[in-house]
Amino acid sequence: MLSQESRGQLAAIAYIRWRLAANSVRNLQGRLELISKIFMAFGAVMGGFGLGVCVTAASWYIVSRGNVELLAIILWITFLFWQLVPVMATAFSQNADTSSLLRFPVSYRSFFLIQMIYGLVDLATAMCSIWLVGATIGVGIAAPRLMPWAAIVFLAFALMNILLGRMIFAWVERWLAKRRTREIMGVLFFLFIISFQMINPMIARFAGHSQPGMFRSIESLLPLERLTPPGLAASALALAASGDLLKAAGAFALLLVYVAAIFWLLNLRVHKQYLGENLSEGAARVAGPKSKLAVPEGWDVPHVSGPVAAIFEKELRYLGRSGPMLFTLVMPVVILFIFRFALTGAGKRENFMVHAPEFAFPVGAAYALLLTVNLVYNSFGPEGMGVQFYFASPVRFREILIAKNFVQGTVIALEIFAVWIAASLFFGTPPLAVVCATLAGVLYGAPVNLALGNFLSLYAPKKIDFATLGRQRASGLTALASIGATVAVMGVAAVTVLVARLLGSLWFATGAFLVFAAIAWGAYVLVLQRVDGIALDRRENLISELSRA
Amino acid sequence: MEPCAILTENLTRRFGDLVAVQDVNLQVAPGQFFGFLGPNGAGKSTTIKMLTGLLAPSSGSIRIMGLDLVADPVEVKRNIGVVPEGMALFARLTGAEYLNFAGRMYGLDRHTAAQRATELLEFMQLTDQPKALITDYSHGMQKKLAMAAAVIHGPKILFLDEPFEGVDAIASGTLKTMLQRMIARGATIFLTSHVLEIVERLCSHVAIIHRGRLVAQGSLEELRAGVEAQAAASLHDPAASDLPLPKPGEKLTLEEMFLRIVGGSREPERELSWLG
Repeated sequence: MLSQESRGQLAAIAYIRWRLAANSVRNLQGRLELISKIFMAFGAVMGGFGLGVCVTAASWYIVSRGNVELLAIILWITFLFWQLVPVMATAFSQNADTSSLLRFPVSYRSFFLIQMIYGLVDLATAMCSIWLVGATIGVGIAAPRLMPWAAIVFLAFALMNILLGRMIFAWVERWLAKRRTREIMGVLFFLFIISFQMINPMIARFAGHSQPGMFRSIESLLPLERLTPPGLAASALALAASGDLLKAAGAFALLLVYVAAIFWLLNLRVHKQYLGENLSEGAARVAGPKSKLAVPEGWDVPHVSGPVAAIFEKELRYLGRSGPMLFTLVMPVVILFIFRFALTGAGKRENFMVHAPEFAFPVGAAYALLLTVNLVYNSFGPEGMGVQFYFASPVRFREILIAKNFVQGTVIALEIFAVWIAASLFFGTPPLAVVCATLAGVLYGAPVNLALGNFLSLYAPKKIDFATLGRQRASGLTALASIGATVAVMGVAAVTVLVARLLGSLWFATGAFLVFAAIAWGAYVLVLQRVDGIALDRRENLISELSRA
Repeated sequence: MEPCAILTENLTRRFGDLVAVQDVNLQVAPGQFFGFLGPNGAGKSTTIKMLTGLLAPSSGSIRIMGLDLVADPVEVKRNIGVVPEGMALFARLTGAEYLNFAGRMYGLDRHTAAQRATELLEFMQLTDQPKALITDYSHGMQKKLAMAAAVIHGPKILFLDEPFEGVDAIASGTLKTMLQRMIARGATIFLTSHVLEIVERLCSHVAIIHRGRLVAQGSLEELRAGVEAQAAASLHDPAASDLPLPKPGEKLTLEEMFLRIVGGSREPERELSWLG
């Protein structure tokens, strides 16, 4: 039980959150922000309920057919969604900063509880919770006597997911905060990718010469799957359904062991945070007699003005020091990797990309474009109070945004190149027509994003912390606009590709995309011509939004 | 005739119904060390933000070195340096990277920017943590860095919003030395500060803003003479300030002048019985 003081503190925090929310709608941007949040929450809830109905139906079908063990499939999907979406879609995730509470006499128990409560306010948590309720109902309809047990097991599974999500954020944040561990993580990531590339030829060898042996080895891995949290939850239900209550209780107990272990690991991190840990890259003082410092010259970026080169350098340095952003930027390659290796294999239905490998590059490129939204739509978010410098300096905002767009364009180009390499490695070299159509599509999609991004960066800025995982969420208005723009761009692209396929030539799509690109670049230039005026009109809002503590 | 370094006419700023600054007419001559004073919430920061282009005036005009700030903002900014309230630092750069960046944003070439960054870091004694990010700097170090960035291009006018706030005695001495050298070389400095002793020691001219209106402006001697004359005239006025007049031969300090001008005397001491 919490002490009276702790309850008072929690009530005070709830009150202050409410007042912050109420005060935020005093201006137009705040009201637009609220509308976009309601809109997104409505979309998420509808999506959650829609999929929840599917989960209910699937659970009912699985249990009524007597294949309770197959509930593991639903639980695995839920598990992956719950854990991966917050990390992959950092633009829409939020990891609240609780360090400001440390100056108050908040007990560790209250601090931990507040962390958990903040963690509950999350899109993935909301949707997955709805799915688990749906699964419980589905099980209940098919086998009413199993419903109470299903509710308990799914509750423990949900608890495990909530704790695991917080634990992943806390530990990844810790690792990404230090350059050394960030480099180690990068190396491990590439070793992981390379190792899977080695597994593929091995599987091919097995498949060619001794398929039964390969199946045996995969089957031998199934007991391991039953030891994972989704497997244990499904086993606990399957064993209970078959009347083996002791073993069911054992599987449930193992699930609780996971909960306890994750809780322990999370507790380690949260306790450090409670003690005032600072995850900065503070460098040691230079010891001994003062050495003569010589500041190296800034980067020489050819064919651009000094200020543009300076901003280009500054932006790339910021990006290079942002573990979470770098983590986000490798995601397109990870997604292609998952499509190639994790979602294929014996006993599973192969995904569409394996049947149509030529889609790998365009899908990866589209995803890469989507991920750079974080950079483009809130360009001044990471500057904080530094944005004042731009207004005090003798540089026009047009030039500042050109420099930022230059960096964003470079990042998009590098991402597309990385996706092309990954697609070629995992799915084979994409045909020339596909490559040209995709690049033309990017040439059309990028300026749309840049133009809208420049506009929204000035109109709906939000301070973000580039260094901390989960603190890159843009404003609700920006998130909504970026979703709208992405849907529009992808929709037009999909219709164009469909027409091209009907006409029997993908080159038609390339031509159409180039026409769209010309229009989009025209719109980009028009927006760019107006940004000086917009920046001056919006300067107070921009500075006050980005200077918030 | 050389134009005023800073000239405002009826400068006004409203925030909704609140008039933060009203009809302020400032005149700062080139080469002056100008202190801009006022109680909390009087409108000092709002004024300095308007003078540096960080905030749009509701009405009135601003001319910096004869140039209209609204009509010619880039040229004005090329000639001024600013340390605003929030210091305008980029937290995830090192001090050297930030100064390099600032220099190039003000139009210096790469070599000059790097050379001046080196000199400034040494002058400000910020060389012992070359790899530390600004976010890890102490408040005083950040202040010194912000000051270094504001002067890297050799501005003709320097605007400083509370430059000595949170700065230790050693750093404060370094900053004062730098500012006095700038004045000696003909620059104009416009600063706001709550530390009246520092303003008194550094500034040749001051202006006092109170509740958004400029209530005094001139050299320290002019202000002193005005206040003393006013005090003498109101010796027998019971409604006048209860502050004592200086003894013969003694000068009014800036703090005394300030308190008289803003109509304040120290609040009577109150007891907070629950405070240990």
